[in-house]
Amino acid sequence: MASTKKPSLPKAVLDMKFMKKTKERLEREFENSKGHDTLYADVITNEMKHASSNYISEASFIFCTNLLEGRLSFKGMNPEIERLMERESSHTNNGEMTKDVSDEVLAKTMVKFDKRKRHSSPSKYNIIKKKKQ
Amino acid sequence: MKVKVGDVVLPGDYCDEIASVGAKSKVLIGPGLKKEIDHVFVTKAGVLKKRNPSTFWVDSYQKRYIPCRGENAIGIVHQKAGDIYRVDIGGSCTASLSYLSFEGATKKNRPEVQIGDVIYAKILVASKDMEPELVCVDSHGKKGCLGVLSDGFVFKCSLNLIRKILSPSCPLLDSLKNEWPFELAAGMNGRIWIKANTLRETIAVGNAILGAEYLSDDEIKTMCNNIASILTGHIS
Repeated sequence: MASTKKPSLPKAVLDMKFMKKTKERLEREFENSKGHDTLYADVITNEMKHASSNYISEASFIFCTNLLEGRLSFKGMNPEIERLMERESSHTNNGEMTKDVSDEVLAKTMVKFDKRKRHSSPSKYNIIKKKKQ
Repeated sequence: MKVKVGDVVLPGDYCDEIASVGAKSKVLIGPGLKKEIDHVFVTKAGVLKKRNPSTFWVDSYQKRYIPCRGENAIGIVHQKAGDIYRVDIGGSCTASLSYLSFEGATKKNRPEVQIGDVIYAKILVASKDMEPELVCVDSHGKKGCLGVLSDGFVFKCSLNLIRKILSPSCPLLDSLKNEWPFELAAGMNGRIWIKANTLRETIAVGNAILGAEYLSDDEIKTMCNNIASILTGHIS
């Protein structure tokens, strides 16, 4: 099985004089891997190979309870940490990033861009797009 | 003995509820629980807790820290040994912290860490048989909130208290945060580092945290109000 997956040298090459050592090594490897498959074949069942568990063990509390970040600063004691805290809380509150440009404004400007592109002479970006299509 | 969620449990007890959930979907079993062939057994004394949809763990009182991967801990640098620092995080053996795992550190440009410094670091590797390994950067190579903690005051407490003050439902930090400026780092290893502008304020924060261990939410609020009023009374 393993030998079919791996890219291997053609036999004609291996028969050449200077490939003698490589040939010996490959033969040894092949014999070793054959031994592994047969060694425990009677003990390892197919079920054991494909078994999966529904239980995930976790040694730490931090994955069980949703704790706060352990580094906190209040009332401007450490502005660097407060910036990080603000970013964290904005992420958790909305579930998405805060927008600098609202959806409506973006839609309007995109329409404007579309109009401009059609009238303008073909640039190198337009040509690339056409080729892809 | 068979137990339910919310019960006080002892090692050797088992819970069929976890097994029934586990038969249908994935279950996360946290500290204090162990899956054996036919049951999920309790291995620590405490209260069996559940968080929806399928997370179970035993909330036990503990002061001895057992390092776990992914947790943030406060450590004290004990030794510089070649290219690593040995850091005491309160576990069974000291943790190692490579001098390259700081933001912007290279082989030529070593971070400025002295013996005796207090460090807030994340545990990268924790296993039964090896010493834990710490890092002071995240996966993007940024230091974030990790690194050396300068000045301030460190004290120890139980591991439960750390989880209590860091849980989002705890009113302690909410009632303290508008009173006076302070900074806090809580390690999951039962050490808290605090820093405020004056000695009196630092002691007030420390006492508020230590006093909150066995109080209910309402009692914590009144305690914080008391501390704040005493503090303002003294200053004026």
